[in-house]
Amino acid sequence: MSAPLSSGQLVRLVAAREISTRIRDRTFIASSVLMIVLILGVLVFQVVVNSGEDTSRVGVVGDPGQVGAALEAQGEALDLDVVVVRFDTDDEARAAVETEDVDGALVGGAADPELVVRDPDTTLEAVVSGAVGAVALGDALAQAGIDPSDLPQVTVTALDGDSEADTQRTVVAVVGIVVLYSLLILFAQFVAQGVVEEKSSRVVELLLATMRPWQLLAGKILGLGVLGLGQIAVIAAIGIGGALAFDVVDLPGELVGTVLWLLFWFVLGYALFASLFAVAASLVSRQEDLGSVLTPASLVLVAGFIVAIQAASDPTGTLAVVTSYVPGLSPMVMPVRQAAGDVALWEVGVAVVLMLVAIALVIRLGGRVYSGALLRTSGKTKLREALRAGEV
Amino acid sequence: MLEFDGLHKSYGDNHVLEGVGFTVAPGSMFGFCGSNGAGKTTTMRIAMGLARADAGEVRWRGRPLDEEARRRIGYMPEERGLYPKMRVGEQLAYFARLHGMDAAAAARAAEEWSGRLGLAERRGDPVEKLSLGNQQRVQLAAALVSRPEVLILDEPFSGLDPVGVDALAEALLEQCRAGVPVVFSSHQLDLVERLCDSVGILARGRMVATGTVEELRRRESGRVLRVVVPDAGPGWAAALPGVRVVSEQAGDTLLELAGGTDDQQVLAAALRTGRVTHFGWREATLVELFREAVADPARQVAAREEVAA
Repeated sequence: MSAPLSSGQLVRLVAAREISTRIRDRTFIASSVLMIVLILGVLVFQVVVNSGEDTSRVGVVGDPGQVGAALEAQGEALDLDVVVVRFDTDDEARAAVETEDVDGALVGGAADPELVVRDPDTTLEAVVSGAVGAVALGDALAQAGIDPSDLPQVTVTALDGDSEADTQRTVVAVVGIVVLYSLLILFAQFVAQGVVEEKSSRVVELLLATMRPWQLLAGKILGLGVLGLGQIAVIAAIGIGGALAFDVVDLPGELVGTVLWLLFWFVLGYALFASLFAVAASLVSRQEDLGSVLTPASLVLVAGFIVAIQAASDPTGTLAVVTSYVPGLSPMVMPVRQAAGDVALWEVGVAVVLMLVAIALVIRLGGRVYSGALLRTSGKTKLREALRAGEV
Repeated sequence: MLEFDGLHKSYGDNHVLEGVGFTVAPGSMFGFCGSNGAGKTTTMRIAMGLARADAGEVRWRGRPLDEEARRRIGYMPEERGLYPKMRVGEQLAYFARLHGMDAAAAARAAEEWSGRLGLAERRGDPVEKLSLGNQQRVQLAAALVSRPEVLILDEPFSGLDPVGVDALAEALLEQCRAGVPVVFSSHQLDLVERLCDSVGILARGRMVATGTVEELRRRESGRVLRVVVPDAGPGWAAALPGVRVVSEQAGDTLLELAGGTDDQQVLAAALRTGRVTHFGWREATLVELFREAVADPARQVAAREEVAA
């Protein structure tokens, strides 16, 4: 009836329990909903802000011809998308303004031009009067025998070529860091609470009669990690999908790249912080004592977050560059630097390797502390005692 | 056979176990007794791999227990433990799976055992919503759900009301009849006496007595004599050679006779005090055997000298 269980099967069983328990947990559901609402909120905010420079429909009587072209050109200069709508008579044009079919109408012909609007709109006024003036000027110049293209033209040279794209990626990275940081804290906290729950309810003794401490730890971290990665992936998908649907960003390729890097750094950051939190949590036996043992690891996380936000405004500063290599800080600082550009692949490689070394160290030493401390269910275990009692 | 062989364990300078060993045959129940802190829990934890013995080993069917063998042991720790927020049915199925059952078999076993222990209606409730008695039943179900080959239970009766005790006793006897060796520790010696085929008494890290209750009794029997002499003055038997007064209360006297002491001389001495309303050898209860066995030998000698003086 019972078959031998491999380590993999045990780890999977533990992970499956973590997922099925958490997915029904109120804190988890609430936090997921909150994150998604937050992301949607950011998107809607962007859409509302962008909608200020919405398109304006301008009615023109007769053949728009030069006036139409001039209106569109003026609109572009003033950051207003102008759509020219043609009407046959002045009355039709006025009626369309009344019914709000168009935002304004240019009536009275070329001799006596008049702009009809429902509410005064200075931007539209400027566009229309500029266009009419330009057409008139063009006509006058043509009559005088001067070709408008002979007039001096201003040439524009951009010194910082792709600054707008960088800014956009950095904004995405900062939003991503906020999500990444929140999820790291949340899921590492879940791991810690789970460890203490098992200790305080003493169920850990029953568990350890069937498996080794590292299998329990691995199952817990993997299970919650899969859930965390799933959640951040859903948020990323909603974010990217929404951003593209609402046309908030112009560079989908860059956006996807930044988000993928964020996912990658989430995995590394989670591996480190979940292990640290789990090991710290194994030292205490009551949820009330959790705060004090989690403080050091939490501070690293908070420091990383603050530095990352600072790095967004100064991605080439010494602080950002140095901290982007420091394990624990790198998962939050490096994506910001990467999004801002100017990071060589080898730099990312070094940060990743340092991070992996740190994870290996924490798992090795931490696993020993964890196994030494798990069965000491009275009060708080000292780190050194746990290290000595743990399995090598 | 489940064999505990020469277990030694110390925590620093504290020698908890100094050569604990006993054997439990399949289909028999072994009562593990000892004062608080005698080392019962440590012995059981070593068997479950939760503590490492400094020396000695625990064998099942002639082979040292390893992880695979432990998966076939049902265990109830002294510190009860279940996931408080997990539902009864799911929890039992989870433990069944940790013991190697597949998902379908685990679900069936969880349903069966929750039903058999009277928890059928509570399957969907989280454990923390259950009364303490019912939580204890879930704990037992968790130990039994994987159809273990061996049961090791640390204080399974503590905290149960008499009805719960009977239900648990019945469940354990049933396991025994099915050929499972059962080891349990308990302070309720009357229960141990009633249920167990054999008993082990642990004191100061050593087994001071093992065997059936009958054997222990035979070893001690013939030594405690109850004499009721209503008219006798206090201390009437103190001066008799080879006799130790165990207790004396208004003439109702318990005497311990050293080997070779003639009980007829004690009777003669009793008759000299007046009427003798009772004179007979007394069957020691397990409680007395226990007291005798765990008493500190140094103190016991001192007590004897005091009485003799």
